[in-house]
Amino acid sequence: MPTRLSDRVGVATAYAAGGVLIIAVTVIMSWLVWQGIGTISWDFLTTGPAPGSLEQGVAGGILPALVGTLIVIIFGMLVAIPLGLGVAIFLTEYRQPSWLAKGTDTAIDLIFGVPSVVFALFGLAIFSQGWLAWLSNPVGDAGMATAQSFFCASLMMALIGLPPVVRSSQAAIIGVPNQQREASYALGKGRLTTIRRIVVPGARPGIATGIVLGIGRIAGDTAIVWILLGGAVLQSPPDGWYLPWNLVDFLRSEGSTLTTYIYFSSPAGEGNSPGPAYGAAFVLMVVILFVNIALIRLSRRKIGKR
Amino acid sequence: MEPMDTPSNDPTDERAARQEWRHAHDRTSDLQAAGNPTDPTMVPPVATADAEPAGTQAAPPAASTATPAAAQPTERIAKSMTEHPAHVPNPSDLVLAIRGLRVAFSGNEILHGVDIDAPRGAVVALVGPSGCGKTTLLRSINRLTELAPTASINGEIQLDGQNVYDRGTDLNLLRRRIGMVFQQPNPFPMTIFDNVAFAMREQAKTRPSRSSLMPAVQDVLQRAGLWDEVKDNLDRNALSLSGGQQQRLCIARTLAANPEVILMDEPCSALDPRSTARIEELIIQLAGSLTVVIVTHNLAQAKRIGDYAAYLLNGDVIEQGLARKVFEDPDQQSTRDFVSGMFG
Ligand SMILES: Nc1ncnc2c1ncn2[C@@H]1O[C@H](COP(=O)(O)OP(=O)(O)OP(=O)(O)O)[C@@H](O)[C@H]1O
Ligand SMILES: [Mg+2]
Repeated sequence: MPTRLSDRVGVATAYAAGGVLIIAVTVIMSWLVWQGIGTISWDFLTTGPAPGSLEQGVAGGILPALVGTLIVIIFGMLVAIPLGLGVAIFLTEYRQPSWLAKGTDTAIDLIFGVPSVVFALFGLAIFSQGWLAWLSNPVGDAGMATAQSFFCASLMMALIGLPPVVRSSQAAIIGVPNQQREASYALGKGRLTTIRRIVVPGARPGIATGIVLGIGRIAGDTAIVWILLGGAVLQSPPDGWYLPWNLVDFLRSEGSTLTTYIYFSSPAGEGNSPGPAYGAAFVLMVVILFVNIALIRLSRRKIGKR
Repeated sequence: MEPMDTPSNDPTDERAARQEWRHAHDRTSDLQAAGNPTDPTMVPPVATADAEPAGTQAAPPAASTATPAAAQPTERIAKSMTEHPAHVPNPSDLVLAIRGLRVAFSGNEILHGVDIDAPRGAVVALVGPSGCGKTTLLRSINRLTELAPTASINGEIQLDGQNVYDRGTDLNLLRRRIGMVFQQPNPFPMTIFDNVAFAMREQAKTRPSRSSLMPAVQDVLQRAGLWDEVKDNLDRNALSLSGGQQQRLCIARTLAANPEVILMDEPCSALDPRSTARIEELIIQLAGSLTVVIVTHNLAQAKRIGDYAAYLLNGDVIEQGLARKVFEDPDQQSTRDFVSGMFG
């Protein structure tokens, strides 16, 4: 134990802060599990919400919402990961021209700081243009588009998933020792090969962390889902949506995600059925946890045997 | 010298590029003229080497050293040289000729017009006090110095008669021809196999298979004296090796690029005496088939393994020539002070 009073106060504060955090997380998690686990059933996971099912005490399925969450995560990150990694590499390994690097830095900070509802609103203005109707569906003959579809939502999700990928990858890339780069150059490897074979693999854990954070942002967003996906909680997906040849049509349609389902069915929303809300929250938590663990595991893959 | 005849999978176009680069501007005669520089501060190897007529099987430079203290190691060199008779450097056949090299960082000049000769197949030891610019000199040869944006480099470095700073130089090919081993062992965080295969891969369009690379990997690890220790563990993380093994792996990794010259920057300073001895042996074995330019703080080491030596002080070459001459009978008072200071 430190002897000086100020040291002891400091240590006590640190312990207290850590303790409070652990208690808060434990309480929230157990509350979710306790409230939500009773709702979980095979039916709950594999059926859609039948009309009227959001009444109190009536079980409703979350399948469309669960699929919706997975789709915006996958398609959002499909754009955010390569773009974010590219930006991170540009900002660390090249930084030329410097005005572009500085501008990009500021832009990333802005995207990180601005609430997603602002981007959603902007997306509505853009995606409702007639020439972008292929992303959603045309509205009548007015040369406008609904601007509400998985495509539109995923594109905006990519934007909010981007900053964590960039910042986390950037830090990891800077952390790759310069000796490694020089060793690669000294073996006659060019810059691109060095980045591809030495820098990016060396930064893999940090990049994975960025991806996890980006997925968390996307999975947790509600504003973009309401505005650009329609938040169509009660609407069941079209028959046969899961068939590959229906994919494009499906992605042009409205939908919902777990977050909007939770809001809708919670006492605060219209459904007023806390049971399914907790159930969906529990599922969302499990999905995020699973993705986290899987990605971190993969990124720290051991080198070689044993 | 022909490129080392290893079963590496260099695509033929690279071999052709090397040949072309060597013969495109055949300046051998220029180079021989350059071997007798006009700079009076420099002792050209040609002038001091008349005791060892080039091309004969006479005892190699260091072998006839009279100093009893150096008797043991020189015998070892003599032995290795009879085992590797190619190792009789011809002082007028320069693989590297550095001429008037000036390097400055942010306008602060570190090297003030350096001239260095490296005869083909020799071990050239660079010595000098800390901060005199040895590392900077070495890194300028394979053009790593210019990675620092503040660096400005002037002068010529001729590799086989062609200036490596010529505009058309293929930087990646140059760095395969001039390999480098760093002060800190720095294997990549990959398997042992992948470390060695790194330089062999990606030259070709299609990724060569593991089995097609294996003979070359084995050959290179054998030449680096590491094969017996790692042959059953090629898929282990290279970072799990000891420091000395890591440094030999770095040498193997460099050999895999099939270099004509290897630059070594205090390769033993992070190693224990046993590992140091192994690396010294390795350098002696490698010399002859390729040229080694080594920076060392350890004068005893420079004496043991160096055929030629250059003494640098504050960015100037004070003296260079046969290692024996530089270390035992230097012309310059400053060299004498440095050499005797180190030996007490
Ligand atoms: N990238 C750089 N930017 C600025 N100055 C540099 C750079 N690299 C080297 N220098 C300077 O050049 C001088 C010579 O450094 P160098 O590393 O070449 O010396 P050295 O002879 O290798 O020393 P040591 O024996 O301690 O390794 C030093 O004063 C160093 O500060
Ligand atoms: Mg140095």
